[in-house]
Amino acid sequence: MEGFLSTYGAAIVQMALAGVLALSLYLPLMAGQLSLASPGFYAVGGYVAALLSTQVFTGYPNGAYPIPLIALEMVVAGAISALFALIIGIPSLRLRGIYLALATIAFVEVLRVFALNQPWLGGAVGIYNIPQPFFSATRVEYLVLALPLLVGAALFVARLERSRIGRAFVALREDELAASAVGIRPTYYKVLAFTLGAILAGMAGALNAHILNTWNARQGTFDLAILILAYVLVGGSRTFLGPIIGGAFLVALPEIILREVAGTPGLNPAIAAFLRDGRLILFGVLIAVSVFFFPYGLITPNLFKRRRKPPVAPLEATKATPKVSRGEL
Amino acid sequence: MSAETVLEVRNITRRFGGLYAVDNVSFEVQRGEIFGLIGPNGAGKTTLFNVITGMTPPTHGELFYEGKNITNKRPHEIAKLGVGRTFQNIRLFGTLTALENVMIARHIHTKSSVMAGVLGLPPAPQEERAVRQRAMQLLELVGLADAAETQARNFSYGDQRRLEIARALALEPKLLLLDEPAAGMNQNEKGVLSGFIRSVREQFDLTIVLIEHHVPLVMGLCDRIAVLNFGQLIALGAPEAVQNDPAVIEAYLGD
Repeated sequence: MEGFLSTYGAAIVQMALAGVLALSLYLPLMAGQLSLASPGFYAVGGYVAALLSTQVFTGYPNGAYPIPLIALEMVVAGAISALFALIIGIPSLRLRGIYLALATIAFVEVLRVFALNQPWLGGAVGIYNIPQPFFSATRVEYLVLALPLLVGAALFVARLERSRIGRAFVALREDELAASAVGIRPTYYKVLAFTLGAILAGMAGALNAHILNTWNARQGTFDLAILILAYVLVGGSRTFLGPIIGGAFLVALPEIILREVAGTPGLNPAIAAFLRDGRLILFGVLIAVSVFFFPYGLITPNLFKRRRKPPVAPLEATKATPKVSRGEL
Repeated sequence: MSAETVLEVRNITRRFGGLYAVDNVSFEVQRGEIFGLIGPNGAGKTTLFNVITGMTPPTHGELFYEGKNITNKRPHEIAKLGVGRTFQNIRLFGTLTALENVMIARHIHTKSSVMAGVLGLPPAPQEERAVRQRAMQLLELVGLADAAETQARNFSYGDQRRLEIARALALEPKLLLLDEPAAGMNQNEKGVLSGFIRSVREQFDLTIVLIEHHVPLVMGLCDRIAVLNFGQLIALGAPEAVQNDPAVIEAYLGD
């Protein structure tokens, strides 16, 4: 156990965060909006935590930084990300499909260049010496924050899917015009889905700033957007479990290839070297293969469908109306 | 017939480039009426529906619903006022179940916030139960209750049309626009549909405007009929009068 945690502790925390980031992309996707803005909000959240913990809550120079303060930073980061999301979402969610994706990539790029050139954000060096509550090498203790964040986000999305708001999102994804014909206000619900996703990304960023101990403009860039998109597409974009499993799987995979498969005793040294150095190539091939064989992702809602009767017995129709049987009308 | 106007279409024109899809059309629909809109293919019937429901803005003219000017309102605002519709090229939420399709249309009659919905706080659980129950009633009404958990895209064409009607009724509209409800149905099914539309009007106190190609169905069902040809209104009145109108005969049969 000790050995396992020292090897994989950091990866396990990152698996949880990947799930949260994947959910942040999944939320707008639920409403049919392909937004790649999550890394932008993730970056914002990280800077919020970095600034707060190095400039505002400065009473802990060498001692352990209190965990509740990190939780507070995460809340503030979520709120500020939500504000950004409203400012960006209201104009850009008028765009559709690939154009929205482009606009959100532009947002991520603008943020990156902005952060790079602002002295108060540390410029190219970024903000370092972000205080830590834990001092172990792997920082697996961060799970006390990462796991509740993941579970909370998962429960939130799972419950949302079964509420009227979640149904409005899905209606927009399925057919925006038909949704508006039954009174669903498209822009409002798109912006709402986008903002909820932004809050999750911001909170994940705030936590990761502490875990990484430093935050700079290389965090939350376009590469991460593509990675998050892969989490969602590989995991499955039709149920909240898909992105979570996808995130965990794709974070764990390169680690497992590196540490387990490449370390198999008696393995041809050339193959072992390829597995070690070329693991990202392998990783890319695996994504391509999984998208090819599981176009709807690894996890689909049908996996959980039981054969069941309608949940409520139909009541009598209120007035006498001749009933028609199927196939007759 | 009561003289209360539910819908007034006043000098509505919709132009697509040089094409007048709807050309200066005016008529009024009275409360409780079944109003037929007929005309050859490309006459502008569906465009007119899209203009009434806010999906296509008119080039000229004005629309009044229950005395309110709705000319530049958005589709969801018009739906909220009580105008429901179905689509000629069926637009169901295909990967969702029949039940979910109808439940979604209860949107404006519920008001739970994100937090109430997620945490299960009042009024969300009560609303959820009521929505489910109402949706099942409506599925029962159109004869699809036993297929409530079937994905909408797996229904036959006729069943999809009925599911669309159930979804439109879930909105509790006062004015219901049906775009070719009988398309793809056989003679027998069309007969049953007529009875169904009449009974739905009684039960829900509806005013209905319907587009239909099948002339006998329209003649038997509608109180009044408007005939469009090349975007223009060429006849308006009781079915018998319209049927014998020389302009209508010419539009349908040619010279």
